[in-house]
Amino acid sequence: MSTGKEFAPPDATPPQADPIAHARDLVDYAASLDCIHCGLCISSCPTYRISGRESASPRGRIHLMRAAAESRVEADADFAEEMDYCLVCRNCESVCPAGVQFGRMMELTRDGLESRRQRKLSARLARWLGFRIVLPSRLALRLVGTLTRLMQVTGLARMFAPALGAAGRALQSLPALPPARERALLPARNRGLRNTGDSDARPALFMLEGCAQPELFGHVNRSTVDALCAAGHDVHVARAVCCGALHAHNGELDQARQLARIYVQEWVRSCAAEGAELIPITNASGCGAHLREYGELLAGDAQCGADAARFSALVRDWSELLSPRIADGSLKLTAPTNVSGPVAWDDPCHLCHGQGVREDPRVLLKAIPGLEQVELHDSESCCGSAGIYSLLRPADGAAILAPKLETLANSGARTLVTSNPGCQMQWLAGIRSKGMDVRVVHLAELVQPTQRT
Amino acid sequence: MDAALIAALRNVLGEAGLVGSGSRLVPYESDGLAMLRHTPEMVLLPRTTAEAAHSMRLLAEAGVPVVGRGAGTGLSGGATPVEGGVVISLARMRDVLEVDPAGRLARVQAGVVNADLTRAAAPHGLFYAPDPSSQMACTIGGNVAENSGGPHCFMHGSTTRHILGLVIVCADGEVLDLSEPQPDPSGYDLIGSFVGSEGTLGLVTEVTVKLTRVPPVTETLLAVFPGLDGACDSVSDMIAARLEPSALEILDRLTIQAVEASVFAAGYPKTAEAVLLVELEGSALEVDVTSKDVLAILEQRGAIELRKARDPLERRKLWAGRKGAFGAMGRIAPDLYVADAVVPRTKLRRMVARTAEICRERNLRLATVFHAGDGNLHPNICYDRRDLDEVKRVLEAGRMILQECIAAGGSLTGEHGVGLEKLEGMDMLFKQADLATMCRMRDAWDPERRMNPGKLLPVRACREVRTNPLPGVEARDAAAGAES
Repeated sequence: MSTGKEFAPPDATPPQADPIAHARDLVDYAASLDCIHCGLCISSCPTYRISGRESASPRGRIHLMRAAAESRVEADADFAEEMDYCLVCRNCESVCPAGVQFGRMMELTRDGLESRRQRKLSARLARWLGFRIVLPSRLALRLVGTLTRLMQVTGLARMFAPALGAAGRALQSLPALPPARERALLPARNRGLRNTGDSDARPALFMLEGCAQPELFGHVNRSTVDALCAAGHDVHVARAVCCGALHAHNGELDQARQLARIYVQEWVRSCAAEGAELIPITNASGCGAHLREYGELLAGDAQCGADAARFSALVRDWSELLSPRIADGSLKLTAPTNVSGPVAWDDPCHLCHGQGVREDPRVLLKAIPGLEQVELHDSESCCGSAGIYSLLRPADGAAILAPKLETLANSGARTLVTSNPGCQMQWLAGIRSKGMDVRVVHLAELVQPTQRT
Repeated sequence: MDAALIAALRNVLGEAGLVGSGSRLVPYESDGLAMLRHTPEMVLLPRTTAEAAHSMRLLAEAGVPVVGRGAGTGLSGGATPVEGGVVISLARMRDVLEVDPAGRLARVQAGVVNADLTRAAAPHGLFYAPDPSSQMACTIGGNVAENSGGPHCFMHGSTTRHILGLVIVCADGEVLDLSEPQPDPSGYDLIGSFVGSEGTLGLVTEVTVKLTRVPPVTETLLAVFPGLDGACDSVSDMIAARLEPSALEILDRLTIQAVEASVFAAGYPKTAEAVLLVELEGSALEVDVTSKDVLAILEQRGAIELRKARDPLERRKLWAGRKGAFGAMGRIAPDLYVADAVVPRTKLRRMVARTAEICRERNLRLATVFHAGDGNLHPNICYDRRDLDEVKRVLEAGRMILQECIAAGGSLTGEHGVGLEKLEGMDMLFKQADLATMCRMRDAWDPERRMNPGKLLPVRACREVRTNPLPGVEARDAAAGAES
């Protein structure tokens, strides 16, 4: 619910009797009133820029939500399509003077639409498998990972993909999965290095490995933990699997709440066992933005609500722990050995728009001596990955990436740096399709080897 | 709408170029003036002048009214759809066609966003001077239609002074190419008459603009005042002393609070009753000399704090705060009526006080922010469109403010245009004969009066026979009815 009316006068005329009971589960009506229709958001919106349709802009979508609540439009197929077309990149939130919480509004609307939708049995089955069975289970993820790797190695993936429809497209868009040893999970406790001169210990951290990251880019998690340990932090690795961001963004709020509870409870237990407040961190921007919203997500939860709020307030992106150390001189980086310059940083949407983290990754990159860097002018606009958007709507995802690929080509960068597995996959697929010679790496992969300990 | 016409248009524009029905049309029902609404029959999204012209021909044959639309950020209802009409949106015409640094001009499609044009010119040390507060979204085509202003138009002049050429699709679909820059056109100045015509003469699809050199030195001052009076008087003094800042902007307390709570928080002191933003441009010497004079006036008029932007980043923040002011008011009320009043700059202080009085009498919350240098007030009146009585009082206050402006020797609109909002004001400001003359000019362009009908010129002046009320007229009639 919106709390935006902090200056409302006590004698303001109260709005008329609540006419929107029918849409409570579909539209955050109070939040929709925060939008004053100024339109400053529209050209920040990737889907508006491509389609030119105001109904595919943030202002337009809010307008539609409000109109649906006021019974002026039906939440029909057109309505649902414009909501599904949204990337939830939250670029609009970064430019909204009224502070409209668009991402949260869209989560509710997607959830409401899902409960109204008549999906085919096969689609319902696929969603159930994906959201309920695979994502929350390490075992299932392992199985899928191993099968995928097997199919990739044997060439079966390429052979059968065309026959598998949407699943086949998804299969083909995956990067080559690493061998099993590189997909091994991290130890539960990773001790930080202590220099004899260090007087106070660095705070201990609580890290989420995530659902897809260990399977797709296991070395990214390893680099992250190594980087943080080298900087003196103890890193506890959570056993929880999926943070539920994908669920929240795709109309599965109940399941998202369930996963959030599991994660918060594990954090509470770990803190108790350690006798210290562990700082929850992630290296995947999509997860980080979602973790910061656990407080709101579980606001009504008598058991977990207060813990979730405390948890959310502590969440940090891993780069936020290292960048102050560059500033105070306690962390020095050396010249890189594993990348070819120039490198370009592309802000993941849920890092810059979702978490407001813009400077820390740049501070780390700038601190690497001799690393040539170029700026991408559209680095804050979405690459079209958007969680599983690029799998669900591959043509739209590719259309959104296209102008960014052009910027990348013009920049002359040889290495693209990002910090989210979805973005990494999307860039890899796009670069491969254009036949460009650009490597894609996670920031941690680049920074960790340059750390002087 | 006729199925054959829809099919023909779809043929021209493709599937993605036409929104024919359903809920997708609803977001087009208003522009930034959300109290006046009408859902269009159809929205067309051409990509080229040729597509726009072809569509226009088909619409002319069918006798369908047409409303042009850029980003829909206007504040006077200029882009509000009309009864039985279609909207032609320029949102897919956003190519910068040419930047010519030597000729100091750029040629763009009319849907190019104002800020994108400046971004394209920046590598050459140039910029596009008119900077409406909505510049990060609004289009050059919309700026042409409304003759848009902005804070820096105090020095650089409003849109009309920066337009070198236009390509216009006329009401009958004919393409009129006036894009060859001519410093002194022979014959009538068609471009001059078209800029600010609010979509009633034709649809602009391509624009050639003048680019301005980025000044060598820019200095931004923030003066904090214990009340609006001191800020207003400072401005009057600067004008009287013939000082020439490039922009003079005043924000009042409520506006400051809204902005400071937003992503555009600029560092305005939250407890200040008023802040005055002064920007100076020119050579180092010019800026230095003017700055001293300006500071002297600010101090003399009781500024309690003076601050200079230390770097471009701080300057950008100070301006971003000002430009986000309208949107930031979303924190205070669901809707905002942004009035656009102009008075002689010597009467700023009195008019500001009078505006506050008018709103107080009607129990309306007012936040004021204004281009003080131009004498252009934007009294921002908070309301909730669901509260019909409040809407009525807002419209009444708007009318009163206009009356006061005209009585004080001012004008109807500084930069937002007349649109639907100020139609009545035209009757107040002009005699019937003047309006009839304007109508004759309009008829020369669009004899059937299909382009944005019912805007800019009061219906009576054009002796238009209408059986259906215009959008928003119900609300106004209700207001009039309740009054009498």
